[in-house]
Amino acid sequence: FFFHSLQAKMSRPVQARRLEGVDKNIWVEFVKLAATYSKVNLGQGFPDFPAPDFLREALMGALSGGNHMLHQYTRAFGHPPLVKVLAQFFEKLLGRDLDPMTNVMVTVGAYQALFCCFQALVDEGDEVIIIEPFFDCYEPMVKMAGGTPVFVPLRPNPPKDGKLMSSADWQLDPAELASKFSERTKAIVLNSPNNPLGKVFSRGELGLIAELCVKHDVLCISDEVYEWLVYDGKQHIRIASLQGMWERTVIIGSAGKTFSATGWKVGWVVGPDRLLQHLRTVHQNSVYHCATIAQEAVAQGFQRELMLYGKPESYFVQLPKELQQKRDWLVQSLDGVGMKPIIPEGTYFLVADISPFKSDVPDVPNSDEPYDSRFAKWMVKNKGLAAIPLSAFYSEAHKNNYTNFIRFCFAKEEATLKAASDILQKWKQEKTS
Amino acid sequence: MFLASRNFCCRGIKLRTDLLSRSIKHSTSATMPFRHKNTRRIEGLDSNVWVEFTKVAADPSIVNLGQGLPDISPPSYVKEELAKVAAVDRLNQYTRGFGHPSLVKALSQVYEKVCGRKIDPLTDILVTVGAYGSLFSTIQALIEEGDEVIIIEPFYDCYEPMVKMAGAKPVFIPLRCKKDGNSASSADWVLDPAELANKFNSKTKAIILNTPHNPIGKVFTLEELQVIADLCIKHDTLCISDEVYEWLVYKGNKHIKIATLPGMWERTVTIGSAGKTYSVTGWKLGWSIGPEHLIKHLQVVHQNTLYTCPTPLQEALAQAFWTDYKRMDDPECYFYSLSRELESKRDRMAQLLKGAGLKPVIPDGGYFMIVDVSTLNVDLSDVDEKLPYDYKFVKWMIASKKLSAIPLSAFCALETKKHFEKYIRFCFIKKDSTLDAAEVILKNWNKQ
Repeated sequence: FFFHSLQAKMSRPVQARRLEGVDKNIWVEFVKLAATYSKVNLGQGFPDFPAPDFLREALMGALSGGNHMLHQYTRAFGHPPLVKVLAQFFEKLLGRDLDPMTNVMVTVGAYQALFCCFQALVDEGDEVIIIEPFFDCYEPMVKMAGGTPVFVPLRPNPPKDGKLMSSADWQLDPAELASKFSERTKAIVLNSPNNPLGKVFSRGELGLIAELCVKHDVLCISDEVYEWLVYDGKQHIRIASLQGMWERTVIIGSAGKTFSATGWKVGWVVGPDRLLQHLRTVHQNSVYHCATIAQEAVAQGFQRELMLYGKPESYFVQLPKELQQKRDWLVQSLDGVGMKPIIPEGTYFLVADISPFKSDVPDVPNSDEPYDSRFAKWMVKNKGLAAIPLSAFYSEAHKNNYTNFIRFCFAKEEATLKAASDILQKWKQEKTS
Repeated sequence: MFLASRNFCCRGIKLRTDLLSRSIKHSTSATMPFRHKNTRRIEGLDSNVWVEFTKVAADPSIVNLGQGLPDISPPSYVKEELAKVAAVDRLNQYTRGFGHPSLVKALSQVYEKVCGRKIDPLTDILVTVGAYGSLFSTIQALIEEGDEVIIIEPFYDCYEPMVKMAGAKPVFIPLRCKKDGNSASSADWVLDPAELANKFNSKTKAIILNTPHNPIGKVFTLEELQVIADLCIKHDTLCISDEVYEWLVYKGNKHIKIATLPGMWERTVTIGSAGKTYSVTGWKLGWSIGPEHLIKHLQVVHQNTLYTCPTPLQEALAQAFWTDYKRMDDPECYFYSLSRELESKRDRMAQLLKGAGLKPVIPDGGYFMIVDVSTLNVDLSDVDEKLPYDYKFVKWMIASKKLSAIPLSAFCALETKKHFEKYIRFCFIKKDSTLDAAEVILKNWNKQ
């Protein structure tokens, strides 16, 4: 009897079932490829220019300040100076009073904020609507929480005049969106500005989503990490400020994206206490505390920005200005060689149609791998230029919907963007000769 | 409840005017019962002993010997490494998800030396947000509904909720004082081998071991570890070995890694902590070390929970490790010098407590000491009946003596609280002035 029960245990996999189907990760592969082959890396989303001086000075100041208790645990749900300044900041932006202790929680990057949301609010059998293309972690996180992802696509409506598409031309079909809401729908994940397209959802589009959330009593997990990176005078609108939405929305933000310091891994959630209380429970049972000194420095960064809010010296004014120029530069480079970029309204990503270059990477019928993925791998190995295939941002069932798009990150030094342009020019010349 | 609110919604939507539908939206959100409760996995896991006690400790007039955080400074070279790192641009951006390359390399070197076996930095190590994050990743990766997990009481409080959050059943076994309640040393607290064997069955997925032990400070001997190892092998059970205090062992004691016992490497995940190793609890870096076939599952959890840990802290930690790796055969190595520093604090603390008529249990390791307070016979029968004695004692001590500690029953399951309620836990990784202030209170204890 004992032998049989031992046998039964040994024949079961050692890992938990919650890991089923969430073990693959595109970044592990593509980051390795970029590290091995790339001369110019426009793949993974991080700046190759330095974080702003005031942020690094804040860290240095904290270190040399003589308060060695900054090397010890701080308040688990967020270092007091940081949650206080975040509350002050978001009070302004949302037009409502916020309690730093109950309406704000600090997390290890926006990534952990997303994890807390799904673990706290999504149970087995719950459906979660995800808008495609999406930041790839949403799907495995929903699955790990036992939920069912339900996908709804942004569909391209190219301008009739043959001009370059804008991310604004990718839209949800209202009827299609409405059809995705069911009794089992627990939440919808909104990402605006959107990674990878760069779409900045308009007030009308957000209103549509909000109406459905209210009608079906559905939560909104609003990933707004690129909230400061909007171009052409566009405005980032926070869905939580729409009627009926504050009480059902968790807003996610990121110091990594806000202050160009992705390696600090400081993020936050802002929302009503009755939702955040559950995120706190997950947080206290998973990581508990976030690194103190990084929070201290980010708090000082926000204090500076609070004082300079709306002024030309504000980093939140300067960074998008700088990135808009880089965007325009990359758009020109790509367009110049025949790749058709979709002009992003926000974020530091853009997606381009690489059709004229497809002849270099012949199609392999019956291949398991989506074409754009094979193309991106060929490109990094043979041209030294790293980018990410758009299929990385689609569910398994829809990975082959678009075969010609790859995503470029333009949060890069001028020299990097120039080097990318040189590679593209040379490549085009090789094709025409 | 939900159905009723749906009906309300439908009736509302039949009416057409904008104004009316807007006001109905407003009233539905005001009157609709809020159906968005917590998920099942966190049911009952919302309370936390630390939230209550750290609030108390924030009062600067109280001498805080409660929560386990050093108020001594980390070594200066550790702080300097972080300052150096802050100036390097690319170290402000993402690093490798499973652990910054220079850090996992340093960890593999240090632990290869300690374990006497090859450790692959890329496949056998995962860097996490504190040892807390390692415990979480391990439990989420390997434990699920239907599993049982053996937890030795008293236990670091997060083990129980983490096991429950994974859907599994915690099975408790207490350390028992072999000296009939008259304990002088952490070595007096032992597991009953027959009792332990009875806790293992076909559902037992893992046992959580914590050595050196928090809160008692017990350092499990080779014989004790062998008993556990034999059962793990017999029942094909995993071992989650929380060894965060691995360097803090006092004279006459040796920290032994259960993973080095025959048959154990392949079934053990060993957890370590930068916070405890370098007195930098606020850096929140920890690691899990084990065989690839287990660590790979922890890596999957990690890539779906927070993906990477902060880069600058990992780089600074790597540099600190290289410094101490190079002098691992030298008594000046911080791993040993911290231990010596703490041993004298331990001894001082014990003397002060005895002087006040309390009975400390001298720990063989770690930086906590449990103390039997029943000798003082403080009558707290008029205070809240429902609380265990030690909770009441600590609250009374904070209010009347301005000294804080943690009640030991905070580290026990509900059923066992009664057996440990005469003990409270003190933390002694405190600077001299803190211990001086504690001395004043303890010397004057009987005068009030």
